[in-house]
Amino acid sequence: MSALGSLLLWLTDHGYQVLLVGLVVVFCVRQPISRRKVVRVLLVLGGIVVGSVFLAAAYGKMKPLPGFAWSWSSVRISLAMFATQVDSYQMLPPGVANTFAHFLPYFELFLGVWLVSCIGQRFSSLLASLTLCGFMIAIATAYYRGLKIDCGCGIGPAEEAGPAALARDGLKFLLPALLVVIGAFWFHRQRQCAPADGATSAAPIRAD
Amino acid sequence: MVWLRPASPLLTVAAAVALLAGPIALRAQDAPAASSTASAHTSASHPTPAHAASAKPVLGAPVKSYGSPGAPIKLEVFTDYQCPSCRNFFETTLRPLINDYVASGKVYVLHHDYPLSGHQYSGMAARWANAAARVGQFGNVEGALYDNQMAWEMTGDIKKFVSTSMPAADFKRVEQQMEGCDGPGPTAAPAGGVAYPPGGHPCPLDAFITSDIALGMKIPVEATPTYRITYKGQPLPAASGAVSWAILRQFFDSLLAQ
Repeated sequence: MSALGSLLLWLTDHGYQVLLVGLVVVFCVRQPISRRKVVRVLLVLGGIVVGSVFLAAAYGKMKPLPGFAWSWSSVRISLAMFATQVDSYQMLPPGVANTFAHFLPYFELFLGVWLVSCIGQRFSSLLASLTLCGFMIAIATAYYRGLKIDCGCGIGPAEEAGPAALARDGLKFLLPALLVVIGAFWFHRQRQCAPADGATSAAPIRAD
Repeated sequence: MVWLRPASPLLTVAAAVALLAGPIALRAQDAPAASSTASAHTSASHPTPAHAASAKPVLGAPVKSYGSPGAPIKLEVFTDYQCPSCRNFFETTLRPLINDYVASGKVYVLHHDYPLSGHQYSGMAARWANAAARVGQFGNVEGALYDNQMAWEMTGDIKKFVSTSMPAADFKRVEQQMEGCDGPGPTAAPAGGVAYPPGGHPCPLDAFITSDIALGMKIPVEATPTYRITYKGQPLPAASGAVSWAILRQFFDSLLAQ
């Protein structure tokens, strides 16, 4: 489990760099067909990178606290601990914060798996981008209100809700998600506009 | 009348010796037990300042805790008496916690001072609280300081609220400790260590505050309030910011259900 966690953390930390390099390659490729192939590979990579962000976040929130082994009750304890972090944002009433804290990690888990699967990627990446925007708004609001709290992101070491957390979320998480959204929509449009090109690549295209 | 029959002289002497020796032995046992209890309270990483040894009467280190140290959950709280979030945390979370889960022996709350450098009177408030804690009045003074935070943070007149929170005899003992403790008290320096605002100077009570600050820097405390929960001896990651009692209670319940 810890190896999986380390892999996910590595992907969340460095995945955006891979995508940025890939973006440069896309602009360097002149031939439309080759460009489409590169974009297709990048979309698969982007799905893995953005999906790993959500999987890592879910893992960070659900993993047992020190001294506990993996079990349903230890997950419940971790989620109850996460509820204290959600509550410290002082944006939701305690009852709603508690429900939200118990729902969010499962939603992140679902979204992470959906992104990695590359099925309906336009929609999954759009939902991921909107979710990340929501997190960033919450962090910015907490910072604006002068709250000195943990961001509760669940990824990597605890980080204060402030400019550093915003910069990290923006660069490492939101930017790749937006790139995948743009790429997925572009790829979908290309398929619709140029069916002849699509015919050349006989393999089924998983990314929408 | 068998029971009135005199016993043998040897047995009578032995019984008399036992009767006399018993209370003496018990009294001799009580004395070290009492002193060890006092030292157990003081041993929580609070060094006794040098002046305290010469002061009369000798006072132990401040006891800034609520409940039994044997409770399954220990909640360590690092707060600043002048911080609004800390007041909110105390009023809405710690107070019901103390009345409920501490009273029922589920949680042990341990207070640590962490006066922040931006607050002019927080160091002085911590001195008053420590002085009160040394005479067993910490709970009353902590409540009074938070209840009247908005009043004393304007004027710096902390003494007024401390004096009304405890019996006059205890306040006299507190006041004696505060002699020479004028001027702003110590605060946690942003770069680490302890700093004194302009006009401030060390006071014997500051040893208790600086030891708390040093402990906070190890955690590390980035903001107040910061709290760390220890469950059955296993410390959990520290968290900062106020949290509502309903949410914290649910977390405690999930731990206690283990």
